[in-house]
This record gives sequence, structure tokens and C-alpha cells, in this order.
Amino acid sequence: MTVNSSRFGELEVPSDAVLDFPEGMIGVGGNRFALLSREENGAFKWLQETAQEDLALPVTDPFQFFPDYEVVLSDEEAQRIGITDPSQAEVLVVVRADEDPGQVSANLLAPILVSAGVGHQVLNEATWAPLREPLLSGGRQEVAAG
Amino acid sequence: MLTISRRVGERILIGDGIVIEVVEVSGGSVRLGITAPKELRIYREELWERVKAENEAAARADFNAPGARPGPA
Repeated sequence: MTVNSSRFGELEVPSDAVLDFPEGMIGVGGNRFALLSREENGAFKWLQETAQEDLALPVTDPFQFFPDYEVVLSDEEAQRIGITDPSQAEVLVVVRADEDPGQVSANLLAPILVSAGVGHQVLNEATWAPLREPLLSGGRQEVAAG
Repeated sequence: MLTISRRVGERILIGDGIVIEVVEVSGGSVRLGITAPKELRIYREELWERVKAENEAAARADFNAPGARPGPA
């Protein structure tokens, strides 16, 4: 399908790259996002809303940057989204870019869980789940030490 | 905005599926019990606002990391 993006222009996206987000992203909406990546091993991907050209979020695999990151959901939330074991889902976190590489951060509080073509942005109830964690911090041990 | 007075143990019904009960009142704080259809998401407002602001900032930010810009599929 063809997707218009204010960031990337007109994109041709294979339909299996389009994910349904029944409740959208928290506070910003959207219902169908194309998961875009250029390089197989690139660190970052984008979730581009297929009908809202202005809505695209950069995302990454949190475990590349934070090996001890955990996603914990309440039983109610897990049941609601139909994912009882977060390890069965693909986990992505939203990246907030910054001119200063040291300030580029990941949102570990509200990860995105993707399973069977459906995505949900959830609130992580793990004890370590900062809203803005510098990508280069390496994770919680270094934060605790610093 | 509708304003309703309730005592501890009393409830408010919103439609047929949402029940809010005053569980405890202590000092300046109120504990509420909420029963709602499971497909509804329930947030503390300030947490929702912080995540919303972060999503908006991420969607706006310039992003020039190598390999981050997708090309034509």
C-alpha cells in the first residue's frame, strides 16, 4: 500500500508491515502504523501512521540498549491486550531524538508490545521504567552507580 | 462538569458498565475502586499526560541517526 509521510514522502509499504493499534498510541492516537526500516540491522525503525502523514514515531529494540530491561503488566492489562507473557511479544520503545547524542532517550515507561500484527502501547509496571532514559546510559546499574 | 457528593462505600454508575466506588477518604486524598469493561484503559491523568507529551515530542524531533531513515520498500 502507499503511505504518505510528512517525514519521508510517499512510501510503498508491504501490507504485512502494517500493524493494527486498536487504541492507538497513548495521547496521540492513530490506528494503523507501518513498521518501517531501511536496513536489516539498523538500530532504529519507525512507526508511521498510514492515514496521518504527520504521525511517525521512531522506535527501537530496548534490549539492545538496556539488556536488563523488563516489561511487567498487571493481569488485567495483559488480559485486555491478549498478551499474557510479554516475552512472547515483540517489544519496541519510542525514541526521542535530540541534537545532543547524550540526550537521545527511550521511553521505557510506555513500551509498545506487538503480537500477531497487533500493537499496544502499555504502561510498564516494572520498578525500573523511566519515561526518558538516555539510550547510551546502558541501563539501570549504571544509573544506580551514577 | 457534573459534581456529585458521595460517602465512603457509595458508588457512581456511568452507563451500564462502569462503577466507581469511594473506598476511603483520608486527609486530602480519596481512594477509588473502579470496575469497567476490560477493553477500557484507565489511567492516572498525570501519567497519561507525561506519556502523551513524550509521544508528541518523539514525533516532532529531528532524527538524523544513520540508518534510521527508511527508503522505499
